[in-house]
Amino acid sequence: MAENNVDYSAKIRGVVAQDLLSGRIDLLLGWEKGHYWWQSRPLFARDQADLERLAWDSFCAVNLSRYLVDELKENKKVGVLLKGCDARALNRLVQDNMVPRERVIAYGLPCPGMLNYAALLEAAAGRKPDGIAEENGQVTVRGGGVELTVPRDRVLLDKCRHCLYPNPVHCDQLLLTPVGERQAPERFSAVQERESLSSDARFAYWEKQLERCLRCYACRQACPYCSCRECFVEQEQPRWLSKASQPSENFMFHLIRAYHGAGRCIDCGECQRACPVGIPLQELNRKLIKDINELYGHYEAGLDPGQEPPLLTYRPDDPAAFSEK
Amino acid sequence: MIKSIKKEHLAHLWERLASNGPLYLPVKEGPALLFKPWREGAAVDLETVSSTVSPKEVFLPRDEVYMQFSRAGQKLELHPAVQEPAGRLIAFGLRSCDLRAVELLDMVFCRKEPVDEPYAARRENTTLVALACGEPDPFCFCTAFGVDPVNAPGADVQAWWNRDDLVLEAETARGEALFTLAGELLAERNAVDRPERPATTDFSLPLEGLPKRLKERFDDPAWGRLYRSCIGCGACTYVCPTCHCFDVQDFGHHARGQRFRCWDSCMYKEFTVMAGGHNPRLTRKERVRQRFLHKLQYFPENYGVYACVGCGRCLRSCPVNLDVVQAIRALGGETVEQR
Repeated sequence: MAENNVDYSAKIRGVVAQDLLSGRIDLLLGWEKGHYWWQSRPLFARDQADLERLAWDSFCAVNLSRYLVDELKENKKVGVLLKGCDARALNRLVQDNMVPRERVIAYGLPCPGMLNYAALLEAAAGRKPDGIAEENGQVTVRGGGVELTVPRDRVLLDKCRHCLYPNPVHCDQLLLTPVGERQAPERFSAVQERESLSSDARFAYWEKQLERCLRCYACRQACPYCSCRECFVEQEQPRWLSKASQPSENFMFHLIRAYHGAGRCIDCGECQRACPVGIPLQELNRKLIKDINELYGHYEAGLDPGQEPPLLTYRPDDPAAFSEK
Repeated sequence: MIKSIKKEHLAHLWERLASNGPLYLPVKEGPALLFKPWREGAAVDLETVSSTVSPKEVFLPRDEVYMQFSRAGQKLELHPAVQEPAGRLIAFGLRSCDLRAVELLDMVFCRKEPVDEPYAARRENTTLVALACGEPDPFCFCTAFGVDPVNAPGADVQAWWNRDDLVLEAETARGEALFTLAGELLAERNAVDRPERPATTDFSLPLEGLPKRLKERFDDPAWGRLYRSCIGCGACTYVCPTCHCFDVQDFGHHARGQRFRCWDSCMYKEFTVMAGGHNPRLTRKERVRQRFLHKLQYFPENYGVYACVGCGRCLRSCPVNLDVVQAIRALGGETVEQR
């Protein structure tokens, strides 16, 4: 970030304040600081005093698009701050008819990637960090009278590591200067690693990962593709999924969720970030993204609202790879 | 009785203690720290201050079978649940906040009739080893609720670190039995000063008179602001050491199956859905309010203590940073926060 965060926050505040105070929007979805310097949480701003708390820094990881579904029930027009991934999430929600696009003002925030507190702790090498400073792709962690500088890439959230689209697409207004294009050559490397395993070894890997699933459904609740009004998990009659914390049921939940997201997942990684026990859920989603790309041609969900997801369309020349195998 | 063991010999101790029944202790699983029965090769972590998920699952497992049933024609047969393997359980490495939480769960499950049998049996069968906290985690605020990070009442053994020695003091007969089981692995030790109490943040929470203020504010519009960021997952309730709500369900099919109970969460919309479809807690606002009032008003009214121990797990795990501290600040002060 070339300018510092305070300048950014002030600049954003200035633009959205006009729209909020003039009544162009009834509510602004943004972020404010939480209890700690490494937490920025959702802000629901209705007036100037609320806006004073608005913050844009390297901890605004929460995707605000999903709040639109509920907030538009109570507000006529809502403004929302969107990072690259969040903007694609909005496009997906619009495609799914969950959000009427004309009732949203989307303010785009080019995103350098959000930072991971656990990684910062590691970078602080045993000291308790009490803040950071950022400059030219470097993060300086302050703490215990010492300053340690690490490359920004090393302390990114997992979900931001292989981001291809840091600049928001199809926004009404871009608030800051776009950041440079990004490459993600390693995006599918974890998936390829899993694919190279025997099916037994792969099963054992996922059994181990999914064993610790609490079934808290944080992944689902944070996810922009999980927009069903009623999830199959909650249906009582018939009950498709037992509440028992058994391997079969944990697999069933995560696999059905992943398949439901095939061609609709924007790879924002909110599922993985939200998971309290750190299950690598993005690997499941990326496996399906990779398969879709290979079977139906390259497709990035949420990038172009006019382009239907491959599994929601039919073409006579669609490959029949599944039945041929 | 005080004994100690060198850090590098702990693996032998785990093996010995696990020989007599399940030994639960904090184990690293991926990035999470969970209380799990020890197995050869387990990545035991006694340094990290609080586990990701609280150790309540030692006494209140994520699911637990009550009974089995089978049906042949018109005949229904019921069988008692398969019992856990015999032998004593040991829960090793609980922190003071976790111990306080166990005490609170005891109030719910054991101290009033009817006693919850599966919980009480596990509790009766478990030796508790508390571990004093050194450097607190930034999320810790146990001292706000009167918990002492280095001294856990109710433990059978209190342990603490002294450089590379793990020092253990038996507090009860059960604790002494654990020493006997460990045998020569534990060295005799003269009295060692307990560690000093570390400083944790207490967030200056207005706890004095809080239940009364919250009761008066049940309909306060501040709840309508507070709940908005909640995404309705159950992470807070499942990592929490004092949340204890469960559901009873059947697993299996028409001919054969099990009736079991499992964790449930008041954050889920179907938690309060009644036969016929009515839901008294219709939106996330009612659910968020219920969770915080249960901790901060209803539990104190029923049992005389707060059902929050300041472990900080909800501060760490909530995906949107909506936690108990925020709730107390917004609604619990002399005046209600106006935004």
